[in-house]
Amino acid sequence: MLLQEAAGAAHPLAGTIAEWIWLVPVLPFLGFIVNGLLSLLPATHLGPADPSAAGHDHGHDAHAANAHDHGGHDDHHHVVRHQYARIVSLVGPAVLGIAFLLTAGIFLALAGAHAEEPFVRTLFPWLVTGGLHVDAALQVDQLSMAMTMVVTGVGFLIHVFSVGYMQDDPGYPRYFAYLNLFVFFMLVLVLGASYPVMFVGWEGVGLCSYLLIGYWYSEKANADAGKKAFVMNRIGDFGFLVAMFLLFANLGTLDFVGVAGQVSELSEGGAVITAIGLFFFLGCAGKSAQIPLYTWLPDAMAGPTPVSALIHAATMVTAGVYLVARSSFLFSLAPVASLTVALVGAVTALFAATIGLKQWDIKKVLAYSTVSQLGYMFIGVGVGAYAAGVFHLVTHAFFKALLFLGSGSVIFAMHRALHHTGSHADAQDMRNMGGLRKYMPWTFGLMWIATLAIAGIPPLSGFFSKDEILASVFARTSHSTLAEATWLGIPGSVLLMLIYVLGLAAALLTAIYMTRMMLYTFHGPNRSGEAERNHLAEAPWVMTAPLVVLGVLSAVGGALNFPAFFGSMGQKFHHWLEPVTGRASLNITHGEEAHLALGTELMLIGIAVAIAVAGILYAVTRLKPAALVPAAQAPESHGIERVLEHKYYVDEAYDRAIVKPVVGISRRVLWRGMDAGLIDGLLVNGSGFLMRGLGWVGARLQSGQVGTYAWVLVIGVLAVLGAFSIR
Amino acid sequence: MAAFLASLNYNAWILPALLIVPTLGALLVWAHGAVAGQGEAAAMTARRLTLAVLVIEFVLSIGLWWSLDIASADWQAVFDKPWIEAWGTRFTVGVDGLSVMMVLLTTFLMPLAILGGWTSVKTKVHAYHTLMLILTTGMLGVFVAKDLFLFYMMWEVMLIPMYFIIGIWGGERRIYASLKFFIYTMVGSLLMLVAIVYLGVEAGEPLGRPTFDYDAILALNLTPTASFWLFGAFFLAFAVKVPMFPFHTWLPDAHVEAPTAGSVILAGILLKLGTYGFLRVALPFFPGVAMYPWVRTTIIVLAVIGVIYGSLVALVQPDIKKLVAYSSVAHLGFVMLGIFALTVESVQGALMVMIGHGLSTGALFLLVGIIYERTHTRLIDDYGGIAKVVPLFATILTIVALSSIGLPGTNGFVAEFLVMLGSFKTYPMLTVVSATGVILAAAYLLWALQRMIYNALDRPANAQLKDLNWRELGLLVPILAGIIWMGVYPKPVLDRMEASAQKLVQEVTRNADRQRASMMLGGR
Amino acid sequence: MIHTIFAQFGAGMTLDLSRPADLTMAIAPDLVLCVGAMILLLYAAWRPESEAHQRRVALGAMTVALLALVAVIVVGLSGWKSTAGPVAVDGYRWAADVVLLLATVIAIGLSMDYNAREGITAPEAHVLVLFATVGMMIMVAARDLMVLFLGLETMSVSIYVLVGMNRRSARSAEGALKYFLLGAFSTAFLLYGIALVYGATGSTNLSAIGGRIAALSLGDSPMLLVGVALLLVGFAFKVAAAPFHMWAPDVYEGAPTPITAYMAAAVKAAAFAAFLRVWIEAFGHLYVAWHDALWWLAAVTMFVGNLVALQQRNLKRMLAYSSIGHTGFLLVAVTAATSQAASAMLFYLFAYTLATMGAFAVIISLGTGTNARENIEDLNGLWQERPGLAVAMAVFMLAMLGFPVFGGMGFFAKWYVLQAAIDAASPQVRLAVLLVIATTISAGYYLYVVMVMFMKPRPEMAPALPVIGAMSRVVIFGSVVLLLVFGVFPDPVVRWARGGTELLPSMAPAAALPTRAGGK
Repeated sequence: MLLQEAAGAAHPLAGTIAEWIWLVPVLPFLGFIVNGLLSLLPATHLGPADPSAAGHDHGHDAHAANAHDHGGHDDHHHVVRHQYARIVSLVGPAVLGIAFLLTAGIFLALAGAHAEEPFVRTLFPWLVTGGLHVDAALQVDQLSMAMTMVVTGVGFLIHVFSVGYMQDDPGYPRYFAYLNLFVFFMLVLVLGASYPVMFVGWEGVGLCSYLLIGYWYSEKANADAGKKAFVMNRIGDFGFLVAMFLLFANLGTLDFVGVAGQVSELSEGGAVITAIGLFFFLGCAGKSAQIPLYTWLPDAMAGPTPVSALIHAATMVTAGVYLVARSSFLFSLAPVASLTVALVGAVTALFAATIGLKQWDIKKVLAYSTVSQLGYMFIGVGVGAYAAGVFHLVTHAFFKALLFLGSGSVIFAMHRALHHTGSHADAQDMRNMGGLRKYMPWTFGLMWIATLAIAGIPPLSGFFSKDEILASVFARTSHSTLAEATWLGIPGSVLLMLIYVLGLAAALLTAIYMTRMMLYTFHGPNRSGEAERNHLAEAPWVMTAPLVVLGVLSAVGGALNFPAFFGSMGQKFHHWLEPVTGRASLNITHGEEAHLALGTELMLIGIAVAIAVAGILYAVTRLKPAALVPAAQAPESHGIERVLEHKYYVDEAYDRAIVKPVVGISRRVLWRGMDAGLIDGLLVNGSGFLMRGLGWVGARLQSGQVGTYAWVLVIGVLAVLGAFSIR
Repeated sequence: MAAFLASLNYNAWILPALLIVPTLGALLVWAHGAVAGQGEAAAMTARRLTLAVLVIEFVLSIGLWWSLDIASADWQAVFDKPWIEAWGTRFTVGVDGLSVMMVLLTTFLMPLAILGGWTSVKTKVHAYHTLMLILTTGMLGVFVAKDLFLFYMMWEVMLIPMYFIIGIWGGERRIYASLKFFIYTMVGSLLMLVAIVYLGVEAGEPLGRPTFDYDAILALNLTPTASFWLFGAFFLAFAVKVPMFPFHTWLPDAHVEAPTAGSVILAGILLKLGTYGFLRVALPFFPGVAMYPWVRTTIIVLAVIGVIYGSLVALVQPDIKKLVAYSSVAHLGFVMLGIFALTVESVQGALMVMIGHGLSTGALFLLVGIIYERTHTRLIDDYGGIAKVVPLFATILTIVALSSIGLPGTNGFVAEFLVMLGSFKTYPMLTVVSATGVILAAAYLLWALQRMIYNALDRPANAQLKDLNWRELGLLVPILAGIIWMGVYPKPVLDRMEASAQKLVQEVTRNADRQRASMMLGGR
Repeated sequence: MIHTIFAQFGAGMTLDLSRPADLTMAIAPDLVLCVGAMILLLYAAWRPESEAHQRRVALGAMTVALLALVAVIVVGLSGWKSTAGPVAVDGYRWAADVVLLLATVIAIGLSMDYNAREGITAPEAHVLVLFATVGMMIMVAARDLMVLFLGLETMSVSIYVLVGMNRRSARSAEGALKYFLLGAFSTAFLLYGIALVYGATGSTNLSAIGGRIAALSLGDSPMLLVGVALLLVGFAFKVAAAPFHMWAPDVYEGAPTPITAYMAAAVKAAAFAAFLRVWIEAFGHLYVAWHDALWWLAAVTMFVGNLVALQQRNLKRMLAYSSIGHTGFLLVAVTAATSQAASAMLFYLFAYTLATMGAFAVIISLGTGTNARENIEDLNGLWQERPGLAVAMAVFMLAMLGFPVFGGMGFFAKWYVLQAAIDAASPQVRLAVLLVIATTISAGYYLYVVMVMFMKPRPEMAPALPVIGAMSRVVIFGSVVLLLVFGVFPDPVVRWARGGTELLPSMAPAAALPTRAGGK
């Protein structure tokens, strides 16, 4: 088909190492098979091994580390290290490592080849019927390879971290099986050469996130969170599906190359392409936790922390951003859809940041920060600065993974401490921490790097990527299809200005709540309690080492894409992605690069930095860690604080407005009323009763009196005679 | 392979063989029962005999996979013998793309169904297996019948065994359920009988004696009025079988009360006979009516209602079997949508759902049966957290549930994706509505899954549950293999059905347009 | 081949019924039966009543009946034809005779067991059955209304007595009386009808009547129409068509079970055979006139029979109503009134006879002198106790329901009637639809019987079932086998039934009637 002709015609990558791209996803899959089988071996069932079964709460993550004391106390089940732990800890990370090396090789090959066209590796025909032809094919291009690098690279680090973090979990092999499977699907998602193949990964990662969030399923809350995540993702997937239907109905093809080739058949900014864009974005909103489908992500923190780092920070949740970038050829032709993406992104960024201000659970803070940062990425890809969006995606992967893993080791340490004393305090509540810098210096330092990065302090990576986004928004307020489009009657230029402001506001809040988190966790006096204090210590190296690597990346990651005024040094990543998203970006900016005068650009940078610094200073000056009391004695918060703490009561609202009514109506109206009552009761059984009733009447006539019979007979005779005469 | 089969002259004898083998098997088992009596040893022999017969049946049938000429959409492996000359009824059987996969599905599921009831059926074992074998003949007969008289007879033949299987080996309310099942089906099928006689007589007009040959009737040119009523008769018969909303209420009762194997066969095969009837009879014979705007729209609306309604009601079922039953209503809604949307993709999708639903729902009922044997409860709330105790069971249940949800990589996705992708061309709005069923499916199945195998293990009794034994594992693994295979590499299956699906779509569309004109004049 | 054997004595020769010798040959089988019956009567009276004597006479009666059957087959295969005359010499008659004699043999066989059980020692009972059969054979042979009446009365009188056979049972006597009173009542209508028809056409010979009606176009002569109407009433009573069915349930319930079976099968068969012959040969040209009346009669009968049957808990009563339902189905064939319909009717009667006889045989073999076990509940869990019996009963029920394979011929019977109805010169599609709807209703009670036998537990203190009588065994087994075998390969029976109807004049001026194309 089309693809092969395009690619098959001696693509520079043909015959190179890129032919082996299929091995990249297959490797983690093999890992999944091995670990999965190991997890099913009967010997591994040590009875209910879930410490939380007894219902105390150490914070969900507690269970990971629960088994550190083999003495264990009454409510802790005796857990021996899994018998296959060694094989698993070898296989799990190894497959990722190899995959990463292979990816790097292909990456270099690609860099060397200067390929303008994507290289498509067709494995086998998948869906072939009627007018539909979808191959199981992988696509190697600058975008997909960048993502693959992140997924395999960061994925590898997190796998290594997990070896230490989960070492004593009874479900160890199961955990790694899920994790490998996730990476497999994630790679299918980013490498897929067509929307359906991408969708396979898209739903696959959703499944793994479901399995991993509910990893400690014995606690209903965890299982609920998993289900919630899956169903909300499904709502998004519904959008993805409809978008595909629209594409197929209008273009008759579903692979990226084909669609990109024929998209011009759709009228620019027309209803169809806008609808396609919006439906795709519904999918993104589900996967990347944007308003209105964001509520599952904070709950997803129920999963083990490395999972939060990998799935709910670095990779899966960014899939939505990737989809928009991947579909740049569509979105760039649908200004309204693009504006929607950017606006929703901006609003989410700010909204989530506000909630982040008042969270006490360290992971919840990071969760909302993730939602907020994802909003940032959507601003970027929404305004057509696809490179900028993806750039932020990459840097975010670095520092947010670092933050999560860091919080992981904090929780790890906290839990271990609480565990020794059998305390039932929440190991994730910052009010129980404080002053940890003494006990875990490495974590402390590294997490500060990440914090400054996310806050946007130069020269750390976050600064560059964030600034790039804000700058491109500003740049597009004029001379762009977006600025000229109108969104629900609002001129695009105004909207872009608004988005810019929202972005700044979000940046300010980010700086504040991140600093707050750091202060409460590492600074001030320690609130974990006398006994516990003695047990606080840095995590083992297998966990700290990945942090170091990520720390370095978060620090220098900005080098990937210095601003334009760095001259030849600048805009590397931007140029790298040009073959994929270049044309699309130009579509939006009428052909010429969106360019800002150096002065303007420096001014914008100034504003951004000033805001970040202001935020940090505000937090440092106004927040008093010393004044905090442990969660147990903490007073009820009031007013706006309370609202923020309860996340604006959105979950409750959804529950009342959607979940309960649906279930109620289904039970009372549809099942009891319609099914059992009307159809079955009245119509089906009713007709049966009617028949019996008629029979009963007939039987009554059968009185046994010959007289009656004779009369009936006579009547019959008259009737017959009548029938003869009436004609 | 094809050459080897040709050397056996496979196509010449396979279909009658497929019908005769189970029948002889039934006689054999029955005779053994008459001789050997009721002992446990005798019972085991009965099970073994039946399994052997059905395995042979499957092995025989598997050749169809290769012997079928993929390129052709015509009847193949036709076997034709006169039967009752006086009435012009012949014993004519054949397969094409529409039926071949159904035949294979049947022969594939039957042995598994027998294994599924291996230990749960303890009384009157011989009778049970005899009926099972007769049932096999009946179902295969419908799928391969090329003569409408034969089609009807086989259609009815299935009824009695299932009636007894539900009524004798079923649950507490089995008598009500079985009678309901019987009458419900009969109401539909008897009107179909009149329609068939009518068609046969009409088609026989030139010959001077009736003929019920498929092609002869296909060539018939009916008046709009006549075809309207005839379509109505067939519609009722098939809609009940499918079952389409609002003719579905027999299904939950039948499913819940039937023994495991009964539910498996009901869901896996029997329901497909309805949709098969639409593909084989209702559309090709009366395209003018079936494609007549309001008729077509009404049916598609009913189908979509079925999807949503089935899912919503499934959401609130306390009884896991009922839940699966209602989920079947939803899935079959997709099939109907695909069939009447009438694009190649959607019809192929519909066929895929038919196969896929046979596998996944069949497996679901097997799993429910397996756990029911251990706990003797079907209430979801009586479970919880058992994933710890029975990890294998939990894993397989999860996989099967996911395929039923339509997760990519499983057959469920391929099937429903094709249905909706195709239907969107002709009925965009309704397709979008039906797509919300995808969300609901996730909701009700995952919720049930959570309440059954996840959450806390709060029933002490459940802590002692035994995990799958080898027999149970052995009968589930083939299904899992099928589920994954058809999700990852469905092409061979699609290829086998492609030609017939294309022909169906073209013929129906063309004839519909031709007849539409006369309909306008004819009114109705 | 067999034909060649009969070729010896003039196969296919035409009898001139005006010559006594030929006339004698024409009624040879009837004579065999009649003479045999008379001799047997003398023998029966020779010895004092006793169980053994009763049996001997019964065996004798069966032998006579079988002889007559042989005679019928011989004559039938010899393929004689006849000139117009008082009696018909055609396959239709022989086919009907086969059904009648079959029913007779079975009935006598069952009586042997039943009478022994009930302590009825009157040997003349069996002889009376033979006489009734003679009457029936005359009915189906009759080509003259007077001959028909002769046969009808011979049959009726014998039946009146047979119903009252069981002197110890009040219900038996009551039934006999009711049957007699109403029977007399309706016979009056019949006779009056004959008179009027004669008055209008000046003949009682069927073909002559038909000819006159056609020639003089008496289509709307009031006298004739009233006559036809009254004849219709007469037949409707004999076949127990609603609303002339009221007698049936009481009589069926009261009469000794074998006699009930005999009535349900043979009387119905004879009446229908004669009915159809008269209607086709004599009144064919009046089709338009009587079509509506018969249509309604059929429709009403189907539903009355099947609906009321739903309410019955007594098996014999239930079967009575079910037989009324079947009357309705058969009336559909009469309404279609084609030669195909005639053969469909014969086929149906054959299948129905087997099923009914079998069902009653089961009832007989369940009861004891003290406990008749005639209620459906008495069958609870029969499967555990007597699997064979239960399966047989299930087959009979499904046969009456008209279910394929498991119901054997029953399905083909319905199928044949449906086909005849739809294929008729004036297609009876509506009636066909009503027929299947009524069938669905009938599933309600047929399945109930099956259900209680297979799905209900056997009551704890249920007394053991008696040993099944030898004759009942034979009957039950035979009926099941025939039903099932012909239920897969009905071809011989179909050919037999069709062969029976070649000689019937194909009738009904199609022009005057709605054609199928528009029909619905």
